[in-house]
Amino acid sequence: MKQYPVPLSKSDLMSVESPARYVGGEFNAVIKEDMMEELEKTGKTSYVRFAFCFPDIYEIGMSNLALQILYHVLNESDFVACERAFSPWLDMDKILREKNIPLYSQETKTPLCDFDILGFTLGYEMCYTNVLQMMDLGKIPLLAKDRGEDDPVICCGGPCAYNIEPMADFFDIAMMGEGEEMILELSEKVREYKLSKNTDHPMTRAELLRNCDAIEGIYVPSLYDVSYFPDDASAKAAGAPARGAYVVPSDDGVKKVIKKRIIKDLDTCTYPTSPVVSNLRVVHDRGYLEVFRGCIRGCRFCQAGFIYRPVREKSVEVLCEQGRQLEKNTGFDEMGLLSLATSDYTQFPELAENLLSTFEGHHTSLSLPSLRLDSFSLDLMEKVQSTRKSGLTFAPEAGTQRLRDVINKNIKEEDIFSALRLAFMGGWSTVKLYFMLGLPTETDEDVLGIADLAKRIEKLYFDIGRETGQKMRRLDITVSTSLFIPKPFTPFQWEPQNSKEELIRKQRLLKDNLRSRNIHYAWHDFDSSVWEVVLARGDRRLAPVLLEGYRSGRFFDAWDDHFKLEKWVEILEKHGLTIEDFAREFSEEETLPWDHISVGVNKKFLLSERHKAHAETTTPSCREHCSGCGAAAWGVGECFAKRNAASGVSADGTAMKEGDA
Amino acid sequence: MLQSEREKMMTMQSHQTAYVQRCSFARSGATVFLGHLDLMTCFERACRRADLPILYSQGYNPRPMMVFALPLGVGIETRCDYLDVSLNCPYDADAFVKELNAFLPEGLRILKSKAIPEPKDSIMSIVTTASYRFEAKGIRSAMEKALSEETLIVTKMAKGKEKQTDIRPLLISLSQASNGDPDSVEFYAFAGSERNVRPDLILSSLVKYCGMDPESSENTRVIRTGLFAGEYPRITPIDEVEVRPLQ
Repeated sequence: MKQYPVPLSKSDLMSVESPARYVGGEFNAVIKEDMMEELEKTGKTSYVRFAFCFPDIYEIGMSNLALQILYHVLNESDFVACERAFSPWLDMDKILREKNIPLYSQETKTPLCDFDILGFTLGYEMCYTNVLQMMDLGKIPLLAKDRGEDDPVICCGGPCAYNIEPMADFFDIAMMGEGEEMILELSEKVREYKLSKNTDHPMTRAELLRNCDAIEGIYVPSLYDVSYFPDDASAKAAGAPARGAYVVPSDDGVKKVIKKRIIKDLDTCTYPTSPVVSNLRVVHDRGYLEVFRGCIRGCRFCQAGFIYRPVREKSVEVLCEQGRQLEKNTGFDEMGLLSLATSDYTQFPELAENLLSTFEGHHTSLSLPSLRLDSFSLDLMEKVQSTRKSGLTFAPEAGTQRLRDVINKNIKEEDIFSALRLAFMGGWSTVKLYFMLGLPTETDEDVLGIADLAKRIEKLYFDIGRETGQKMRRLDITVSTSLFIPKPFTPFQWEPQNSKEELIRKQRLLKDNLRSRNIHYAWHDFDSSVWEVVLARGDRRLAPVLLEGYRSGRFFDAWDDHFKLEKWVEILEKHGLTIEDFAREFSEEETLPWDHISVGVNKKFLLSERHKAHAETTTPSCREHCSGCGAAAWGVGECFAKRNAASGVSADGTAMKEGDA
Repeated sequence: MLQSEREKMMTMQSHQTAYVQRCSFARSGATVFLGHLDLMTCFERACRRADLPILYSQGYNPRPMMVFALPLGVGIETRCDYLDVSLNCPYDADAFVKELNAFLPEGLRILKSKAIPEPKDSIMSIVTTASYRFEAKGIRSAMEKALSEETLIVTKMAKGKEKQTDIRPLLISLSQASNGDPDSVEFYAFAGSERNVRPDLILSSLVKYCGMDPESSENTRVIRTGLFAGEYPRITPIDEVEVRPLQ
């Protein structure tokens, strides 16, 4: 593979924290040499040049599976050449600005403005300002309306794309759902647009966007009009609509509802078994096997649990074959199983056994995140972790059974204690417990329940020591709390977020009750959670706020050291908005900024789940009983798996009708 | 099994016979900016992709047994560095080179390899001298001036503290291979575990004592051209050193 020179001097590269981030040259990276030759000779190419952009630093972006999947899908096609770009860290950002060097791609060091499409993956809201940084450094006008015929088409996807409203003014296109098929359909439209430029009837950018709107799953924000109606009784009496943010098509030719896309059969869907292997060690330095998409659980705070429905599994055979190839093509000595809850994979024991024998004798370890602890998984962990006993992790999320019922977290104390009993007997001595503060209906009793649970675990450990007469190691329990953030497309999307003062009080209450030499308390930064809710439930009024924040140097907000809440609040208020506008309780009547998007789980279902939460009633998992969320409309996956007769309702026509949002 | 039993079992495993490939390698391009640990990982992964029968260390965290003669700092190219790779069976050296090269990232290349008995002396311990080539405008006269100085005191960071150190005794002489080009220079310097000088310290001494401007010092192309054993001037390239077998 030819190497393309970095447009930076050696002294510039040597002056930054980690120069290897900016030079490319990784194993399995793809450069389409025929395209480069064509460009060199004629200055043009018929390939669609796609820059896959990750709005955070290289080491984080290179750990992202979406990047690897879509990079592979695009480069596998014969008409797209996909390259990668990442957010340069502050030191490199400064150099690029000072020397006026445009942000470039990893592979051919091409300035971002010379690509046909930029595709951003949005995994977390706090990266929004880095999208602006990358576009700006890439010499691309930030606002969609300012971009002309020669500028790249800027699109995005990923979980945050479902409520893209705060960023809607910056993107030409947002992709809803799984991108494997959609991204090629989009690239095809851009190809037609590009080729038409050499004809007598060149297509306009406006025509291109119209054509893209015809693709299912694609949302073109500029084709919609937005109006905001406040909570105003007198206006309402005079005939104004209910409170809300109304996003409506600007004419009849534009689709009213944008439905997310899914891949129906993961076994036959292409998967990157030769991902780009970073030369630099990255955050998750391993090969990934995606076991299934979706989650059967339905925890009411969890956005991933709803937006990725329906649950679709890969077969054991396909996974083992992909694992074998992945190991061979990357040289990784660790393979990770990826899903929202590994233990929920229906053939998990077979999969684990087969993978262990696939990697046997290769010095390849298996990483098994998000396992539910029982005797089987403990036994398995003994096997895969060879020698070292790493920590056990539980996520009860709430301190009392009452609150766990509210959030529909199906983990019972008996289960935690019986698993821990086994683990402690087997020599484990490090336990991590994850909780959330500020959950709907939470009282001080629930907060104290967290401390109580931790202390009873501590007691169990020493009781076992006494019972068995074993010499016990030092016990290390870490209690970790994050803050509840109401997210779109969850049953809690209407819920208010606790004020910062209330959260601080609860945290202090917990801290004061957790005093023990064996228990550590770790907490998440409040400030970023306060801002995250603004971005998560925001609307288009935030665009000028984000733009001004970025212009005043606010980016890398996902990095706590760089995030300054007070600066953002200042800018927000200058634009006539407050934190409370987004952290408040949303009324059930109001039109939400994301109501024109359908993730396949209908709003009526989310609302009924919310009501059940307040009634402290749980909902069974999809595997036990279909609750008719709407995802069955796709006709695939868990919704149609064979259930035993006792489970009652199966996904039938009723569910399908409901599914059509 | 209890942790204590497991620990006992791990330490009881017997010695494995190592079939060592002593190879020389070059690095250029993007891989020049990798730190030593990342470079090691690149070689490990390439060996695994090539499906070479590498030998792993024993103990809690088995690692492929690879020993580099001398770490390569970030930003330094090499035309000839060395590493020992332990295999669990005899292997043809040419096949080893060919197979590994097919799986290394762009910029890393194995030049030569030879099968040696498991060495008594670690490859790290025999390195005494390195040769470097610096390329920058006017570097030759600056380097000649440096070698005419009695002392070259530079500031070095050691364990988070600044330390003054004289690097002049660590510079040996210009190399024979060095021609008259004013913009490049080749020289020998002490290297290895006993006495070692980092190229960036040499460059900073050129700024401090020999009138080199800081920007051109920072942009100097630094290439390691060889590593040697023995006492200068009777030095031998690492792969030509006779290996004393372990047993």
